[in-house]
Amino acid sequence: MTNVVSSQQAPASLEKFPEKMTVRNLDFFYGDNRALKSVNVPLYANLATAFIGPSGCGKSTLLRVFNRMYDLYPGQRAAGEVLLDGENILDPGLDVNGLRARVGMVFQKPTPFPMSIYENIAFGVRLYEKLGKAEMDERVEKALRGAAIWGEVKDKLQASGLSLSGGQQQRLCIARTVAIQPEVILFDEPCSALDPISTAKVEELIDELRNEYTIAIVTHNMQQAVRVSQYTAFMYLGELVEFGDTDKVFTAPTERRTQDYITGRFG
Amino acid sequence: MVEHTVKSFDVELETLDRYIAEMGGIAEKMLADAMDALAGMNVELAQRVVSSDPRLDLLQRTVEEFAVHTIAKRQPLAVDLREIVGAIRISADLERVGDLAKNIAKRAALIAGEMRIPRSVVGLRSMHDVAATQLNDVLDAYAQRDPERAKSVWKRDAELDSLEDSVFRDLLTFMMEDPRNITFCTHLLFCSKNLERVGDHTTNIAETVVYIVTGESLPVERPRGLDSASTP
Repeated sequence: MTNVVSSQQAPASLEKFPEKMTVRNLDFFYGDNRALKSVNVPLYANLATAFIGPSGCGKSTLLRVFNRMYDLYPGQRAAGEVLLDGENILDPGLDVNGLRARVGMVFQKPTPFPMSIYENIAFGVRLYEKLGKAEMDERVEKALRGAAIWGEVKDKLQASGLSLSGGQQQRLCIARTVAIQPEVILFDEPCSALDPISTAKVEELIDELRNEYTIAIVTHNMQQAVRVSQYTAFMYLGELVEFGDTDKVFTAPTERRTQDYITGRFG
Repeated sequence: MVEHTVKSFDVELETLDRYIAEMGGIAEKMLADAMDALAGMNVELAQRVVSSDPRLDLLQRTVEEFAVHTIAKRQPLAVDLREIVGAIRISADLERVGDLAKNIAKRAALIAGEMRIPRSVVGLRSMHDVAATQLNDVLDAYAQRDPERAKSVWKRDAELDSLEDSVFRDLLTFMMEDPRNITFCTHLLFCSKNLERVGDHTTNIAETVVYIVTGESLPVERPRGLDSASTP
């Protein structure tokens, strides 16, 4: 029997991966509440960075800054810099729709649109590109293949996306994200509602996606962070406490708070 | 160390700790008794050493099973993971120390009838004393999770290596003086090798203690005696 999840070998030299995104002195406010405090962290191209920390530590907030999701809510604002290929995405003049096409997001609960499997993919693509029927078919297939779900849905592309199982729905959502051909993919606890087999498939997928995209993943599952990421950031009370090689963070972290958290010693 | 949110995990780690402490005690006693049996030509004591080995073997197996079970159950990380992996390693080293002591005891029983050169045991006694002190120190370093103390044990192993060299030369001289000494001295030669191996397991344990506490590994090469290359 083969393992569904391959062993994740970190590249021998991590240094040669350029910074795809760079967070500099980032503060974030929900009204008066400062949820992120001077956070500095890089996301390296073609690597997965895991964000861990107790609930309310700011990791999901940080993820929501990466594609300016917070813009949708009044009273929320960010200060500091988040550079995507050197360009500050917090710039008010930035085209937010363009940004979200470059920085895709997959959520905790699968959120397929109430439409066919095919349309779930095509819908988003149409927002950004005008493709002919053949090209669109090709794009949909490529996205579904890329999300490792093609084999399961190729004979029922007109069936509703909601008819799929939870794990399939999540991979459909990943396909939907991939179809836009983003550069960065954000995963916010993508497996917390999935069974172990589906989780393994999504983790395997994340490792493959790394070849083409830059990955950031928020997870409460330490072992998952060890399995899928090359870098790990530990956050606590809105601060970035420790950032480093995943291997190092989970075997010999430098910060006491990191150690207490990952070993389950938090008071 | 702050306690785990899950208290029973702390209990499990303490249990491993106790097993190692018990193993250390048994291994130390076996080594001391084996040396006394050898020096004092005491067959009965030698047999007692041999008979305490199964308990050590059993404890090692228990540590391994307990550690594997704990890993499966807790999926430990960071210091917890190092503690458990460390316990597996140290128990294996202590079990080997017991085997080496047992081997010395068996040889003591074999040659008890013909103590040919009483002074030949003097060098072995010195080796034993160094090895026993080192073992005791490293077990203390483990109990106190003291990496500095472990490092000093690690560095001192060279002393045992050079003692082994001088014992080797002495025994060689006795054998050349009178071929009838050969069987007797060969047994002692093995005993000296065994004591030197105890030192190696002690330095292994020292390395493990440093790893448990700091997460870092000591260099692969450790300080050697100046002319240890002259022994086989």
